[in-house]
Amino acid sequence: MTFRTSSTGQQRQNLLDLQATQDRLALNQAQIASGKRVTQPGDDPVAAALILDFGTSIDSNTQFLKQVDSANSFLQSASDAVGTTINDATRLQELAQQGLSSTNAGSARTAMAAEVSSIRANLLALGNTQAQGKYIFSGTNTKVPAFTADPLTGAVTYAGNNGLINLNVSAGAAPVATNVTGSQAFQGGGTNGSATDIFQVTSDLQAALTANDTAAIQVAATRLQTIQDNLNQVQADLGGRQAGLTNTQATLTSMNTTLQGLQSNQQDTNFAQAITQYSSDTTIQSATLSAMAKTNKTSLFDYLA
Amino acid sequence: MPGLNASLNIALSGLQAQQAALNVVGHNIANVNTPGYTREVANITSGKAFVEGDVYYGSGANVTSVQGIRDRFLNLQITQETAKQAGAQTRYTTVNAVSTTLGDTGTTGVSAQLQAFFQSFQDLAARPEDTSLQTNVVGKAQNLVSTLQTQYQGLDDQRSNADQAVGSLVGQINTLTSQIALLNQSISTAPSADTNNDAIDQRQALTDKLAGLVGINVVQGSRGELQITLDSGAAVLVSGSSSYDLVTKRTGSGSDNYLQVASNMAGSVVDVTSNIKDGQLGANLDLRDNILVGFQAQLDQIAAGLASKVNLGQKAGFAQNGLAGVDFFQNASVANRVSDGLPISIAVTPAVKSGSGWTDFYEGMVNLLSVNSALVADPSLIAAGGSAAAGDNANALAMAQLGSANNTVDTGTGSGTIGFTGAIGALITDLGTQTQNYSAQNTTQQNLLSALQTQRDSLSGVNLDEEASNLMTLQRGYQASARFLSVINSLADQLMTQLGR
Repeated sequence: MTFRTSSTGQQRQNLLDLQATQDRLALNQAQIASGKRVTQPGDDPVAAALILDFGTSIDSNTQFLKQVDSANSFLQSASDAVGTTINDATRLQELAQQGLSSTNAGSARTAMAAEVSSIRANLLALGNTQAQGKYIFSGTNTKVPAFTADPLTGAVTYAGNNGLINLNVSAGAAPVATNVTGSQAFQGGGTNGSATDIFQVTSDLQAALTANDTAAIQVAATRLQTIQDNLNQVQADLGGRQAGLTNTQATLTSMNTTLQGLQSNQQDTNFAQAITQYSSDTTIQSATLSAMAKTNKTSLFDYLA
Repeated sequence: MPGLNASLNIALSGLQAQQAALNVVGHNIANVNTPGYTREVANITSGKAFVEGDVYYGSGANVTSVQGIRDRFLNLQITQETAKQAGAQTRYTTVNAVSTTLGDTGTTGVSAQLQAFFQSFQDLAARPEDTSLQTNVVGKAQNLVSTLQTQYQGLDDQRSNADQAVGSLVGQINTLTSQIALLNQSISTAPSADTNNDAIDQRQALTDKLAGLVGINVVQGSRGELQITLDSGAAVLVSGSSSYDLVTKRTGSGSDNYLQVASNMAGSVVDVTSNIKDGQLGANLDLRDNILVGFQAQLDQIAAGLASKVNLGQKAGFAQNGLAGVDFFQNASVANRVSDGLPISIAVTPAVKSGSGWTDFYEGMVNLLSVNSALVADPSLIAAGGSAAAGDNANALAMAQLGSANNTVDTGTGSGTIGFTGAIGALITDLGTQTQNYSAQNTTQQNLLSALQTQRDSLSGVNLDEEASNLMTLQRGYQASARFLSVINSLADQLMTQLGR
């Protein structure tokens, strides 16, 4: 039993086959040219959702890396200011010790008092450090200077609050505080004028030196020691947070590398496969065309007289 | 014994029969490329014999019928698959076009814009008092709103295109059904059924064309006439020599003012809009009323989640001026509810999520979304603080968290069920799955149809080699008959000239 093949049917079948080959050629060519295996969700819905998911994670990690930089810059500013403050406190302690020494005359103590006064002015400037438009020691009250000095008495008052400015640096983990309050750094957590207030103690030292009062100098020296301990602790705390951020940064960067690899697996063209398929389809196409040309040439009518 | 005249008649019948058969061959060759043409075969039978005693003498040959070689069940199958194929192709073309923009997984898509918006709150958290960062948040919000609205508008445009197609398709359908009814008339009035081959072929071609436009069911009656109904059986399009037009009218209002399709049978108008499944018309109605609306509904839900959560978040915090936050998203003329931060005109507690009603859930939210003009004028009104202090960023952090939080988007249950990332992921997957689904359906139907057409061609198509061979056979037959005529003629001549003198 032979199967009848109509002349138009043969043509149509050939045409359909050719079109199918051309479709595949176009698809592979697009994949090769764009370098992407999935250019729209219909190409592979599951992969499209994954690509989006990986992309979202990569984006949010990239944002977290920005947050880490931001937090780091604030912590660095605070750390620099606290570091300078520690140097100043050390110098104050030296001056206090010299003031206590019996070899020094009254006039020498007056000269020391002058230096203490200038250090105090410097401390005030440090307390009012600004970074990126913020008074970094004012708590969340960042638009006002942290410490104000009374123009008449010279008494320094803390104008900030105890608010912490937190930033999220990774999903799920606790946020990182990017500031220390002026009260904590410069007043040891105490109130204005308390024994741990560096400005008060500096004023006291200056007054004691001017008055040539060694007992008062001794009191100030003891208090300066406590203040120095507190400043060192604050500095260590800041350093700890920065070290933590460095770890976070490394984790986020390596996570992103992994995620980008995973995304690329889903999204990018497998060139070896695409090019092999492409060249095989090119062969099929030219074979089909030449077969079509041959089939169409043979007709019984050629042999009719 | 038959006389010479009888022999002359035999020669004549032979010549006539061969010539008639050649005529059929010529007709076949002429129609080799006519779509839907069915090859014809001349049935030649021997003439009635006459008897002399015990001897039966033949009386030549006659063409008794010209038969179209067709299988009408195969034809009915082709008609139905044509409708499904056209439906799948139309759906695929549109969904595929939509998915290219709506399904953008790159940097310009809804997903990326949504993420950029929430990340701008994280940027703001680092320096809440910074005007440039406040402006950035407002800018990102405006980008997001315009992206959502562009995508939504794109879907609306596709729906309008589908609606326009509905109008033009109904016109074409009515023309076809009236032509089919006319052909039905001429086929059923032929002396015997299945003889008016060319009319049957024409009608088949028109029926296939009709099936491409609208899903139909076809039944053949005893006189060869076709009865055509919609695929759901909801309306009769052709019955015998009568055709019944489909009519269109607009019943909705505003953006929902789409064409409804009704059948008009003897003055009784029945709406059949939702009863047309396949063909281009069915596919366009499905796209317009279900598929594209489904995508729009998902965008509306995302927009509603956005407006509601961000507004409530914003009201929980404090702006740079130390006052509590105002609505972030607000339509100029519509005030938001305090309870959920959504525009008052938006329905939030629908009775049921079923049928076409569920699409009304948050319907139109995308178009109502706009960044509060007060915020645009003064970005420092963004409530970044958990307290009135200028540097407090607690609320900005909380708002940034919304981007990755769960239960922010209500997908139709009355309360939040998934997060923004999840909702966008669902939209992309939905879009991808539907594209792939219609693409596969399209390919399958195309293959099935092509297999059926090959089968029909194998039976009914013209093969030129076959016709050439028939041509030769008949030519020889004609030559032989002519030779026979000449022999008989010379016999008669011999009688006349030699004996008749």
